[in-house]
Amino acid sequence: MSNLINTKHILSIMVDNEPGVLARVVGLFSGRGYNIESLSVSEVDSDKFLSRVTIVTSGTKIIVDQIKAQLKKLIPVHDLIDITELDSFIGKELILIKLNVKSITKKGFEDVIHKTKTNILFDKGNEVIIQFSGSPSEIRSLLNKLKPFKIIEQTRSGLVSMALGTKYIKK
Amino acid sequence: MTKITGAKVVIETLIQENVEVIFGYPGGAVLPIYDEIFKQKKIRHILVRHEQAAVHAAEGYARSTGKVGVVLVTSGPGATNTVTGLTDAMMDSIPIVCITGQVPTHMIGNDAFQEADIVGITRPCTKHNYLVKDVTKLAGVIHSAFNICINGRPGPVLVDIPKDIQTFKTVYKGKKAYKDNRYYKPKVKPDDEKINEIVKLMTESSKPIFYVGGGVINSGTKASKELFKLIKKTSFPCTQTLMGLGAFPTSDNQFIGMLGMHGTYEANHSMHKSDLLLCVGARFDDRITGKVSGFSPKSKKVHMDIDPSSFNKSVNVDVMVQGDLYRILSAINNRIEEKKIIFSKNKIKKWWIQIDKWRSRNCLRYKNSKEIIKPQFALERLNKLTEKLNPFITTEVGQHQMWAAQFLSFNKPKHWMTSGGLGTMGYGLPAAMGVQIAHPKELVIDVAGEASILMNIQEMSTIKQYKLPVKIFILNNHYMGMVKQWQELLHGNRLSESYMESLPDFVKLAESFGASGIQVLKPNDLDEAINEMISIKGPVICDVVVDPNENCFPMIPSGSTHDQMLLGPNDKVDGEISEEGMILV
Repeated sequence: MSNLINTKHILSIMVDNEPGVLARVVGLFSGRGYNIESLSVSEVDSDKFLSRVTIVTSGTKIIVDQIKAQLKKLIPVHDLIDITELDSFIGKELILIKLNVKSITKKGFEDVIHKTKTNILFDKGNEVIIQFSGSPSEIRSLLNKLKPFKIIEQTRSGLVSMALGTKYIKK
Repeated sequence: MTKITGAKVVIETLIQENVEVIFGYPGGAVLPIYDEIFKQKKIRHILVRHEQAAVHAAEGYARSTGKVGVVLVTSGPGATNTVTGLTDAMMDSIPIVCITGQVPTHMIGNDAFQEADIVGITRPCTKHNYLVKDVTKLAGVIHSAFNICINGRPGPVLVDIPKDIQTFKTVYKGKKAYKDNRYYKPKVKPDDEKINEIVKLMTESSKPIFYVGGGVINSGTKASKELFKLIKKTSFPCTQTLMGLGAFPTSDNQFIGMLGMHGTYEANHSMHKSDLLLCVGARFDDRITGKVSGFSPKSKKVHMDIDPSSFNKSVNVDVMVQGDLYRILSAINNRIEEKKIIFSKNKIKKWWIQIDKWRSRNCLRYKNSKEIIKPQFALERLNKLTEKLNPFITTEVGQHQMWAAQFLSFNKPKHWMTSGGLGTMGYGLPAAMGVQIAHPKELVIDVAGEASILMNIQEMSTIKQYKLPVKIFILNNHYMGMVKQWQELLHGNRLSESYMESLPDFVKLAESFGASGIQVLKPNDLDEAINEMISIKGPVICDVVVDPNENCFPMIPSGSTHDQMLLGPNDKVDGEISEEGMILV
C-alpha cells in the first residue's frame, strides 16, 4: 500500500455499549477530519454490554494507521481489527426499497426479483417493498436492474463484515 | 455496611486516592459535595476566582509534583469555564480529574437552569469522561478516573455528577472493591528486539542527536536519571522541546539548546544534518519540525513513546518503541552494560566540531542597552540572581515565554510549567498558585507578559487569601509581542489591535490585593528590583518595562525548514514567505 494512494478500509470495533460511545467514535472522525463512508452498530453481547461497530473509511496508509491508533486510544474500545488487511472476509449490507410498480411493468419487475433472490415484504396496489442483502457491488447491480422502475425510497443498513478463518475480534 | 450519600462517596474516594488538595469553586449543583468538604479535615480546598484558573492551578500542582490535580466545579457555566483548562491539560498530557456538578437526572435534557451537556462538550478535550446516573457506580467511576488520567499518556478525565446522585445513598466498599473498573492497562514494557535495534543504530551513528520531550518529565524523575546516564555514556548531543526542558539539565555542555521555531541555531542545524535522531517522548509537533517534507532529511529516526498514536503521525520514523520511557531508557542502559559497549568519542568528534561551529554563531545574542531594559537581559539577570534557589518557573504565552525558555536554566525536571500545546494566555498565574500550594517554601516565579497576565488577573485575590508568595515577573512591552512580531513579519507591519492600551498601574494593582509592587524602568535598577522581589516574603508583582521593539529570535519562519533560520532583525527571509507558510499559525 503506497503512502499516497487512498484505499478503502473496513474497521470492526468492539466497544462498551454505554451512552455516548458512538458519539466518541463519530466525534473522533469529524474532529480529526477523517472520512466515514458507512457506519453500522448494534449490541452483540447483552451480558457484557458490548456493541460491535463497523466503519468503512478511506485514506492513505498514514491516515488509516492514525485512525486506528486514535480509535484504540478511546477507553471504551476493547478491540479493533482492520478486516480489509486480512486474507479474506465477508461484507454484507441490507437494503429495503419501496417501489411504485404498475401492472404493465409487473412482469419485468418480477423477473428481476426472481433472478436476484430478492424478498418481497409488502405488495399492495402499486406499492411494493423489497428486501435484499448482499455485498455493496451486488446491491449496486440490483439497483441498476431496478432502474426502469420507479423507486420511491430506499434505506441501507451500512456494511457489516466478518473475517474468514481464525482472526476473531476480542471481547 | 452503612450507607453514605453520593457526596460523601466523592470525598471518601478522593481520600483513598491520596488527594490532598482540590482546586474549585462552589455553585448550586455541587452544594452537597461542598457540604462534605466542610465536614472533613483531610482534604484542603483552594477557592479560585474563575474555574479556568482552577484547572490551570491543578495543572501546576500536577506538573510540579507528578500527582493528579483535582478540580471541583458546579454545573453549567462552572463546567464550561473549565474547557480551556481541560484542553490545555489534554494537549500537554497533564493528569487531571475534574468533577462537575450537574442538574438532577430527571432534569437533564430539559434546558434546566445552569444545565450544560458538559460530557458532550468535553468529549474531544478529555482523555475520557463520565456522566454518573447511578449512585452505586459513582465510586467505581471516580477510581477509574484516577487510574485513566495518570496511566499511559496522562490527560484530563471529567466526572459529571447530577445533584440527586450526590444525595442518594449507597455503600462504599473501599478502593480495592472497584478493581473491575481498572481494565485500562496501557502497554508500558518495551519489546526487547526494539531495544537491540536502537542500541545497534546508536553504535553505528556518527551524527546522532537526542531529541527529548515532555514524555520524559511525565515518566518521572527516574526517567530523567536514566536519560542522563545514557546521554553521558554516549557523549551524544541533546536538544529538548519546550515541554522537555529540565528532563536533561540545560546547563550541561551536551545540551545544545531548545529546538524548533524559536530554538537555537545549533539545535536546529544538528537536527537537519543528523544521521540518527533519537526522539524520546516528543511528538514531532509542527513548532518543532517546521516544513515536514524538509525535516531532518538524512536521519534514521527512532521514536520512543507511550502513546502509539504519536508514531508516524506527521513524520515517518524507522523504529518505534511503545512503552514507559523509564522502562525503555533503563532497558537501553542495561543492554549497553550487558554487551559492554563503549561509545567512542572519536566517532562523533567531527560531529561535535561541527556543532560547536554552529554554536559559535551565538544565536541568542542581542544588542544590550544602557537606556532601556532588553527583555533578554531581564531574564538573564533573573536567572543569574535566582539560579541557586532552583526556582519553579511558570509562564504565560508569547514572546516572554520563548525568551524564558531560551534564557533561563532548567536543571531539574518538574520545575518548568508552560502551556506548550494549546498556548493558553493566562496560564502562568494560576499554574504558579498550584505550584506554590504544592511547594509552600520554594521560590515560584510566573514569567509573564502584560497582556497575558490580565487574562487571569482575578487570581490575585486567591493569592491574597492563601498568602501565596508567588512572584510575578512581567516583561511589559505594551504590546501583544508575539502578535506584533508576526504582524511585522507577515502583515506589512500593520499592528492591528496588538497594542495594549489602558494598562493598569501594576504596582497599585499589586498593593490593592495586599501584594508588593515594584516597577523597573532602567537596566541599572534591575538587579536591585529582582533581589528585592526575592527577599519579600509575600506575593510580588515586578513590572519590568522593556524595549517594545525587541523581537524573539532565532526564528524559523512558517513553512521553512531547520536550516532556513532567521538569526536577528537584520536577517531577511529568502524571497517571499510562501503562501503555504502564510496560512500556517
